[in-house]
Amino acid sequence: MSAEPVVTGAGAIGAWGVERRALHGALAAGHPLARRVEGTPDAATVPAAACAALVPVLDLSPWLAPAHARRMAMTSRWSVAAARMAVEEARPGPRDGGRTAVVMATAFGSVWFTERLVRQVLDEGPQAAQPFYFSECVANAAAGQVAIAEGARGANVTIAQREAGPLIALSQAAAEVREERAEAALAGAVDEMSPLLHRLLDRYRALARGAAGRAEAPRPFDLRRDGVLAGEGAAVLLVEPAATARARGARTLARIRGTGSAFDPTATESDWGEGVETLAAALHRTLRRAGVAPEEIAGIVSGASGARRGDALEGKVLRSAWSGRTLPPIVAPKAVVGEYGGGILACALAALDGASFGRPTQLTEHDPQMGIDLHTGSIPHGPILVSALAAGGAAAWVVMDRP
Amino acid sequence: MSGADRAPLPPGSIVITGLGAVTPFGWGVAPLWEGARSGRCAVGALDRFDPAGHRTRIAAQVPLDAAPAPRSRRATLADRFAVAAAGEAVASAGLDASALAHAGVAFGSSTGGLIESESYFEDLLRRGPRRARPGLLASQQFDGPGDAVARALGCTGPVLTVTAACVSGAAAIEAAARILLRGEADTVVAGASDALCRVTYSGFNSLRAVDEKPSRPFRKDRAGLTLGEGAGVLVLESARHARERGARVLAVLAGAASTCDAHHMTAPHAAGAGAAVAVTRALTEAACDPADVDFINAHGTGTPHNDAAEAAAIARVFGGLARSIPVTSTKALIGHLLGSAGAVEAVVTVLCLARGEVHPMPDDGERDLSIALDLVLGLPRRLPRARVALSTSLAFGGANAALVLRRPESAHVR
Amino acid sequence: MSGDPATALKIKTLLVEKLHLDALTPEQIADDMPLFGEGLGLDSVDALELVVALEKEFSIRIQSYEVGREAFATVATLSRYLEGRLASADSHVGS
Repeated sequence: MSAEPVVTGAGAIGAWGVERRALHGALAAGHPLARRVEGTPDAATVPAAACAALVPVLDLSPWLAPAHARRMAMTSRWSVAAARMAVEEARPGPRDGGRTAVVMATAFGSVWFTERLVRQVLDEGPQAAQPFYFSECVANAAAGQVAIAEGARGANVTIAQREAGPLIALSQAAAEVREERAEAALAGAVDEMSPLLHRLLDRYRALARGAAGRAEAPRPFDLRRDGVLAGEGAAVLLVEPAATARARGARTLARIRGTGSAFDPTATESDWGEGVETLAAALHRTLRRAGVAPEEIAGIVSGASGARRGDALEGKVLRSAWSGRTLPPIVAPKAVVGEYGGGILACALAALDGASFGRPTQLTEHDPQMGIDLHTGSIPHGPILVSALAAGGAAAWVVMDRP
Repeated sequence: MSGADRAPLPPGSIVITGLGAVTPFGWGVAPLWEGARSGRCAVGALDRFDPAGHRTRIAAQVPLDAAPAPRSRRATLADRFAVAAAGEAVASAGLDASALAHAGVAFGSSTGGLIESESYFEDLLRRGPRRARPGLLASQQFDGPGDAVARALGCTGPVLTVTAACVSGAAAIEAAARILLRGEADTVVAGASDALCRVTYSGFNSLRAVDEKPSRPFRKDRAGLTLGEGAGVLVLESARHARERGARVLAVLAGAASTCDAHHMTAPHAAGAGAAVAVTRALTEAACDPADVDFINAHGTGTPHNDAAEAAAIARVFGGLARSIPVTSTKALIGHLLGSAGAVEAVVTVLCLARGEVHPMPDDGERDLSIALDLVLGLPRRLPRARVALSTSLAFGGANAALVLRRPESAHVR
Repeated sequence: MSGDPATALKIKTLLVEKLHLDALTPEQIADDMPLFGEGLGLDSVDALELVVALEKEFSIRIQSYEVGREAFATVATLSRYLEGRLASADSHVGS
């Protein structure tokens, strides 16, 4: 199928920096890319979770001129820089901007600017609200800035679906290409982690805290998991029709075989539910749509992140979907890159690239409820399943391979 | 009814079978239509939060005294608007629990539970971190309303929230249509919800985009928008599914398209180029010519630049016809509902199509001679022909969306 | 072409700090350099941001219609406009 969507370029910014090699190295080492979060004076209690996978100070000028960056929130800067990296890698040649789409996902939007704006309005009065902050704190600001930077005048969509956002954004972008509404689509995700957001996630017991004798770390599928590593950053992929990529001899990083999403209505506003069978059935439909049988899946890049109920649901859904068959190798890169910021997209490409996944260093023993031991080493060649289940109920999957 | 995908559908196979709304005219589609038809302005004094210190003092607020009790103690206002409107829509569509179980939800919101987050911040600042209630933030995210609807209805199909500022509602409807066209679901509950909050109110004021008086779209003395709030929900189904269950079809979603100006983060392209492309693509998908359009429900915010750009876009697409196609803007009555504007306006457009009349805007102020549109003012306009309608939305960040709706009888427009 | 150089310097400092013109120092902005379009290249959102900053710095309210091209054309014109506003405020002390 000539309009079959393929990925020909990718840019990602995260706690590892910007280099793909650094990401691969981090995945191989298996350590969480955690840094201490600067305290906020508003901390309610002694912060229980102290770390997040924070993006280091970076020079983005190779991809984003300082003059353009001056009014952008970090979320926009990272997105524009990551998009530029993707475009430079793909080298798509002259294209009709009118048929270039942008689909970005975000869980929390521009939290720094939003917080500043709320404080300005409450502390200094409504007329102290700064236009800069407002125009950049709308959740679709990053997608808008990417469109301006890349002259992308097709559909411009921002998905807000928490942990499932990045895969839904990739699915939507793939659909723009497959259904021939776009000749190219920039798909990705961005999130930033502020001290206040970190404290709030901690108060919701979402973050790993550690205990006596056990370091604070995310432990996917582990018996002693107690939360996620909050992350930040941006990842953007350039998706285009396979025929176009082939015609100019572009290297294909991934071919999108199929996508799917579903919802578990037993979830609550801020937690995962128990809808194992519902989600397993939807996962099967996704595989069928991709034309890939469960036994053909070479590996699973799981969105498991150390969340107590989230990982339980993810594990049980995978077990149910593969019941009667051996589970393929499973890796859980959020143990290294954290949750939020689109890291899962970069890690999925790394898996297809043959990256080696080290055993996450902080694991103790697997949770027998799911009985999943993470794979170490690279994933064998073949189609992979990427999964993400969101708190609140949404679920998304993508099947991709590298031909 | 099984979980298997259907075969992909040709364009024009998506129908609307249910409507729901919560707006400044009240809770329900009936008060919305009654208010719209009357051309009454639902803008009043802002009292949702303390208006002191704000540059303007008016807003179009949903009357909360008529609100049903919330389902969850953590439900935000935006959640409550969404769930109420969705409940009305699925009831009016006659969907049973099984159909709902397999349905998807495509929703839009620009702020989610931001006003509740602001209360959290107030707690934080005034009462200190120990007394600040994090429960206020349980549903504060953008996908709060859409997820609340999916949970309330028990949906297990694809669920997504788009947050695209003022285009969110239209974008959600387009996303719903695409899910159906792909055969990923038979039914999708599509809509959007937003509640007033201080940040948005101050933010638009900081951009000097808000008028002290109720907005007057396309008029000569227009001076800005008026903020409103509410939710609009439509039940979208494949035509085949609707036929099989004997559902009453209210309208056909014949075409949907969106583009981006890629020009400036807050100012539209002056000549409305991107908006014109979105309209043209939607008409093409609907197999319609510009001459087939019987009326337009415009974005029409009442800001000087947006209205001029939109008028330019309409002129670009319709040429000489632009002067004679009735144009209205629901925002003149209920304000700008931000993320939910596109959804509520789609509901209104379906109602106008079904009844063959376009609701008016208040006949207020002078004509802008540089805008050659046939504005519907004062009284509702009966249409000699009511087969095809266009609804447009333009947003911050330059996104543009167009929806083309058709009356069900007119299967062939040409 | 009179005007208090202190006012001009305050304006230039606000321009650099509030509009994040990191590549410039206040001293590098000439009094008669056009602020919008050519010259400094600011746009409509910068104008609004500048208004908020000026309102805070000089404790005045600037109405939308006053944010016109003439007053905001250059640092010099803006200086004169502000001094005019501050002078008339002084003359109405107590009112």
